Amino acid sequence: MLKDVCVIGTGAAGGVWIDALTRAGVEVVALERGPQLGPADFVRHDEWSNIHRSDGFAPEWRDTLRETGTETARLGRSSMLAQCVGGGTAHWGGQSWRYREDDFCLLSKEGAIAGANLADWPISYAELEPWYERAEQRLGLAGRAGSNPFEAARRRGYPNPPHPPRRATLAIERGAKALGLHPFPTPLAINSRPYAGRGTCLNGGQCSNFGCPTQAKASTLSIQIPAAMATGRLDLRTGTRAVELIVGADGRVRAARTITAEGREGEVRANHFVLAAGSIATPHLLLLSRSARFPQGLANGSGLVGRNLMFHIFSYVGFELPDESMGAFGPAGMLSIDDFHASDPKRGFIRGAVISEAAEPGPLWAAYKAPEYLGRKTGAWGGPLKDYLRRYSRLAAMISIGEDLARFDNRIDLDPDHVDADGLPLPRITHQSHPNDLALAAAFEKTMAEIAVAAGARKVFSFDFSRAKGGTGHLLGTCRMGTDPEKSVVDRDGRSHEVPNLYVPDGSCFPSAAGYNPTLTIFANAERMAERFLDRLGRSGRSGRSGRSGRREAA
Amino acid sequence: MSDDGRPSVLADLLSRRAFLAGSAGLWISLSLARPLAVAAVQRDSQPRALDPREWQVVRSITARILPTDDLPGAIEADCVNFIDKALAAEDAEALPAYRAALAELDRVCRAAKGSGFVELPAESQDEILAALEEGRLAGWKSEVADPTVFFATVRMHTILGFVLDPRHGGNRDYVGWQVMGYPGPVHHLGGAQADHLSGKLPFQPIWERQQKRPDRKGPDIGSGHSGA
Repeated sequence: MLKDVCVIGTGAAGGVWIDALTRAGVEVVALERGPQLGPADFVRHDEWSNIHRSDGFAPEWRDTLRETGTETARLGRSSMLAQCVGGGTAHWGGQSWRYREDDFCLLSKEGAIAGANLADWPISYAELEPWYERAEQRLGLAGRAGSNPFEAARRRGYPNPPHPPRRATLAIERGAKALGLHPFPTPLAINSRPYAGRGTCLNGGQCSNFGCPTQAKASTLSIQIPAAMATGRLDLRTGTRAVELIVGADGRVRAARTITAEGREGEVRANHFVLAAGSIATPHLLLLSRSARFPQGLANGSGLVGRNLMFHIFSYVGFELPDESMGAFGPAGMLSIDDFHASDPKRGFIRGAVISEAAEPGPLWAAYKAPEYLGRKTGAWGGPLKDYLRRYSRLAAMISIGEDLARFDNRIDLDPDHVDADGLPLPRITHQSHPNDLALAAAFEKTMAEIAVAAGARKVFSFDFSRAKGGTGHLLGTCRMGTDPEKSVVDRDGRSHEVPNLYVPDGSCFPSAAGYNPTLTIFANAERMAERFLDRLGRSGRSGRSGRSGRREAA
Repeated sequence: MSDDGRPSVLADLLSRRAFLAGSAGLWISLSLARPLAVAAVQRDSQPRALDPREWQVVRSITARILPTDDLPGAIEADCVNFIDKALAAEDAEALPAYRAALAELDRVCRAAKGSGFVELPAESQDEILAALEEGRLAGWKSEVADPTVFFATVRMHTILGFVLDPRHGGNRDYVGWQVMGYPGPVHHLGGAQADHLSGKLPFQPIWERQQKRPDRKGPDIGSGHSGA
């Protein structure tokens, strides 16, 4: 049966489109490579499966990684992506930021930077603001409006109050205030009270890397997909991987060629195709979809598909408090500091980062850091290791989400040497941090150490995340959004410049990363693009449309 | 999955994750194998992968990596049982290299010190392990297994056996969590309240709850070699 729209991927962007379209009366078929996981799976997951082996969410995933184009990429599983209904929103931490005005005009604000490929967004903060509001309400954010003096203007507050702090949160708050900084509750997409049919957070501690067994953490798995199912207009096909988009004689995508987990091949036809598989799998599928018309891969006349890959650059500072931190309890970092976000010429690098408390959610994660705590690469065993482990309950940490600069050479392409279980070339990650990224990370490490000392830390140590690359969950870029078809892959509405019925609304379209966790912006931008799509489709106002919060203003 | 035919399976397994390492071999993961349903296997302490001598050597190594002092260590946590079960299941790929390295360690000890690793005094064991970790253990034939990679593997395995949930075969009676002060999986324990986060109300850890409810003990690990 020919569906109106085929959505590939069910994470933040795919889930939003599935929800918005089915609500508007559109018949949608959604292809999800992974299975449907739920609370029974999430209580089975632990640090062994989700941190150490990292196979709780994408056991079959393989990619290859290298720094520069002259190296041979190494086989591994460097990306923390989730292949299941909900995608990355199933195992995200819930930190939910609005980017600021300056984040949308990077090139015009900073000018060109050698070795980087900066760009402006084709939209402004003002244009996205109503969609941020809609996403915040839909996800049930907990936060306190006005508590971050550095955030962009908002018309409406958060739907829920902040979570109660743990002792580490209070220590960091005291330290930051003593330094004249402006700490505030991190906006979290985790219920601080019952909201929209989902219960209050049980303070289980394990958010990032884990599924929420109570669904207090917002996800498309717990919100958008069930809403779409309830309309009766969603045909959700789990265990179904799109391996090629097939173009017809008219230059439009005609069908997605699929392979199921059981190895059955098939085709899914639709009038429109929405590719929302994340910044690795989205360009990977386009590059796999070669044809006479698109010899470099679908929608890749610009040669930019896969390029300008961004990961953020993290700095991480651990510290030991004089008494218990209560790090095992509560959502991920409940406190943030945004005083250092804007570019400051005195610092010797451009852009900045948000600093957040990092939780200390489990004993294995703490044990990993023994060499850093002990300050020794060898000998982190025996008595010293035992002594460190005994301090677990006093440990706390901070992390900074540094804005990394897009580079033309940082990219996803097809690995020439390795294939996956379906015989297709693996995605190859080529990524080298810009010197600006490294300078930024070093400066934030120092800043966080100063805050930790002011918080009363007995001992402070850093943990080097700078080589984590795809090990981060923050995958951005690779199908840049812009107005110029020679400098971007999709237009401001997420529509391919070259293929009129192909849309890429996920984090792939981000022209820059901004120094914030990106997921709320993916949600908001996908809401905006879905509405633009519906307007074009001429179906606005069809049955079931709510018309609430933002739709009118942005139309 | 071995892509370049290097002789050491251990090195290969570790190197797949090595690029994630910020420093000092963190993030080491032994295997990319899919998770196996091994819970049933892990409920007993009968060796499944290691032979009796190998079990004793591994057990002695773990005792030096997380020694017993005024608080329990790797022996009490039964880390060797975790390692044995991992090598029988998720980390089975690593077993041949593990075996070779254990035999080589014993051989080097006999040649240099006149007795196997297990029989050496703790101070000598520490010397040997330090040399192993730093790749300077005289007489080690490196084609068998990279000594530093082997040490890093056993070290991480021991830590895993100490800090992971007892269902994986280690952390016996939650002694690892008791040493660390980790109360257990909070979601499974009904969640925590604001007063727990502030410290006003003590959170009852899993081992105290289970003492009060003998019908809900952890996995029956048995005695096996752990008391030897």
